[in-house]
Amino acid sequence: MQKTVLIIEDNRDNYFLMQYLLEREDFRVMGADSGWLGIEMALYNIPDIILLDIQLPGMDGYTVMRRLRATPELAEIPIVAVSSYAMVGHRELAMACGASGYIEKPIDPDKFSEEIQAFLRSQK
Amino acid sequence: MRDLIANDSRSIMSAGDGVKTTQGAFCALFALLIFLTFGSQLHGRTLRVGLTQNPPKTYWDEHGEAAGIFVDILNHIATAEGWEIEYHKDNWDNNLRLLQIGELDLVPDVAYSSERAKLLDFHQSPVLFSWTQLYARKGNAIKSFEDLDGLRLAVLHNSIQANVLSDMITGFGMNSSLVTADTFEDVLALVQDHKADVAATNNYFGRMNALRYNLEETGILFEPASLFFAAPKGRNAEILDTIDQHIIQLKRRPDTVYYKILRKHSSEAQEYRIPLWIIWGGSILLVTLVLSMVGAVLFKHQVRKRTAELMQANLEMEQRIEERTEELALAMHKAQVADMLKSAFLATMSHELRTPLNSVIGFTGILLKEMPGALNPEQLKMLKIVQTSGRHLLSLINDVLDISKIEAGELELHYTELELAPLLEKVISTMGAQAQEKGIELILKAGESPRTIHTDGRRLDQVLFNLLGNAVKFTLTGHVCLSSFEHEGLLHLSIEDTGIGIPADMLDKLFQPFMQVEMGMDRKYEGSGLGLFISQKIIGKMGGEISVTSEVGIGSNFTIILPLRGEELSCKKPSSS
Repeated sequence: MQKTVLIIEDNRDNYFLMQYLLEREDFRVMGADSGWLGIEMALYNIPDIILLDIQLPGMDGYTVMRRLRATPELAEIPIVAVSSYAMVGHRELAMACGASGYIEKPIDPDKFSEEIQAFLRSQK
Repeated sequence: MRDLIANDSRSIMSAGDGVKTTQGAFCALFALLIFLTFGSQLHGRTLRVGLTQNPPKTYWDEHGEAAGIFVDILNHIATAEGWEIEYHKDNWDNNLRLLQIGELDLVPDVAYSSERAKLLDFHQSPVLFSWTQLYARKGNAIKSFEDLDGLRLAVLHNSIQANVLSDMITGFGMNSSLVTADTFEDVLALVQDHKADVAATNNYFGRMNALRYNLEETGILFEPASLFFAAPKGRNAEILDTIDQHIIQLKRRPDTVYYKILRKHSSEAQEYRIPLWIIWGGSILLVTLVLSMVGAVLFKHQVRKRTAELMQANLEMEQRIEERTEELALAMHKAQVADMLKSAFLATMSHELRTPLNSVIGFTGILLKEMPGALNPEQLKMLKIVQTSGRHLLSLINDVLDISKIEAGELELHYTELELAPLLEKVISTMGAQAQEKGIELILKAGESPRTIHTDGRRLDQVLFNLLGNAVKFTLTGHVCLSSFEHEGLLHLSIEDTGIGIPADMLDKLFQPFMQVEMGMDRKYEGSGLGLFISQKIIGKMGGEISVTSEVGIGSNFTIILPLRGEELSCKKPSSS
């Protein structure tokens, strides 16, 4: 069955990059460019996995993650933080906020979709 | 005593005259009216006053009598107003509680705060102005807050001084510690006995007692507070008004009872001798009956001079406190702003520079994988250059960010228990392609090594990649070998190559930032020159060290020595800005 990925990312180029790589692997890809929109979209089209940028305009990724985790319908969906934060400790913070995984940018085109598949499988 | 009262009523009368001249007859008349009305209503009333042992402001003397600055002032007012005072001895918390429920009419020595004003009534003009003063052993050079760095500060357990100092230590990121005691006497004793370096007490207690403990004032004072008599909410407004009237009058002129009381209670032990001596001298004068008039005049002059001095000193002190408090607040604010700017800059740099690079590197990767379609050899070669340059730029940005973090003291380590072998294998396999391209052999030699180590894996990776990367970069033929072994509880990781080597005179400069050994005119080896500097800092923070031996034309050997169980030195929370 085709899996749905929701990408919450405010940078269009980075969104296209992930979309391109995932659509090649037959994912259905949806995008939201802010945390608010992301939560709305997630509620209407319960995705199989959410890819979440940490630095978003307005509500940051950590807050988005806590809100997603606090919403019963969305609480079980795996969330992968995809971030270019070079600061040590951000991975730990993301995990503490409820992330299932953390992918550091720049993403590796070779491994990206494989990593996402692995996260999906590990949640089963 | 009779003489005293006569004196006081006179001073009140004359102060009343002052009101007339300064604020107009109407006001004075009004005030007098209120004064008389309440005076008559309250005459003969008994007030229950809660008292706590807190010399010299309020205490019980050796005869079990209530004493202290507040007590003397209240007794003075009570005599003038015809009130009876009944002192109730209890601890601070109980007194405040009894006051709130109206079991007590007054409690002295209450610092005003907006929280307390919700539960209690206060009069307008403060009885005393108090602050926290720091004391240290004689000959100390403590002038400002920064001088406290690294010192042990003695404070009263659970006191406001303890809270403020601990906030300041955190706020300024200082390396000081707090030592607590149960009484102010013990606080001073801790410093005298060298168990602490600085003592914090209220200024009244300190002035009375510091000398006994061979301590002296430092230049540091903070947390100013105005002290009042407090009454139950909405119950004793007229008493507070009357007290206020008296306080205002008493404070207006330097020769009133108020300043006599202050002088009596706030002079240092040493200064007690001076009035004794004057009294002694005065009695001799009396006995000899010579110049009694002159003696009286002299005495009065002395008293006036000293009270004027005291008033001046009080004023200067208040100014000093205000200035210091402002300075401190400003310094604190500046430090916080600078800290915020620094963190914001790092976070922005990290994100804004890396975001566009992510898509450059990502899409180049997609094109190179020929996912959208086949490329001709020329396109492939050019895209390879784009990719290499992109990665190079990214590593430069990361290096600059690391340097900023190191300079800002924000390099944080996150320790976990790691298996050593997979960590080394991963580094070798990642470097493999690069070495193979150059035709260099990459060797991993695992000697007697521990199975696991307690370290920051990502940072150790970074250092190994840097050292191996350098080795491969500067080696044209031959091999690069990474070996590990344990020796005397330390992990040795050595990276040995058959590269171009480093001249002896350059070895000690190697770990400085922006250093790269130049070969001739052109800088043919790319790199920021920051890698070794960063690596050394990281290993240093892990409690280890990097050393190097090298011979030009033969090769180099970099050795990392690390404790097997690195201790987490910093436990700061990551900033989420």
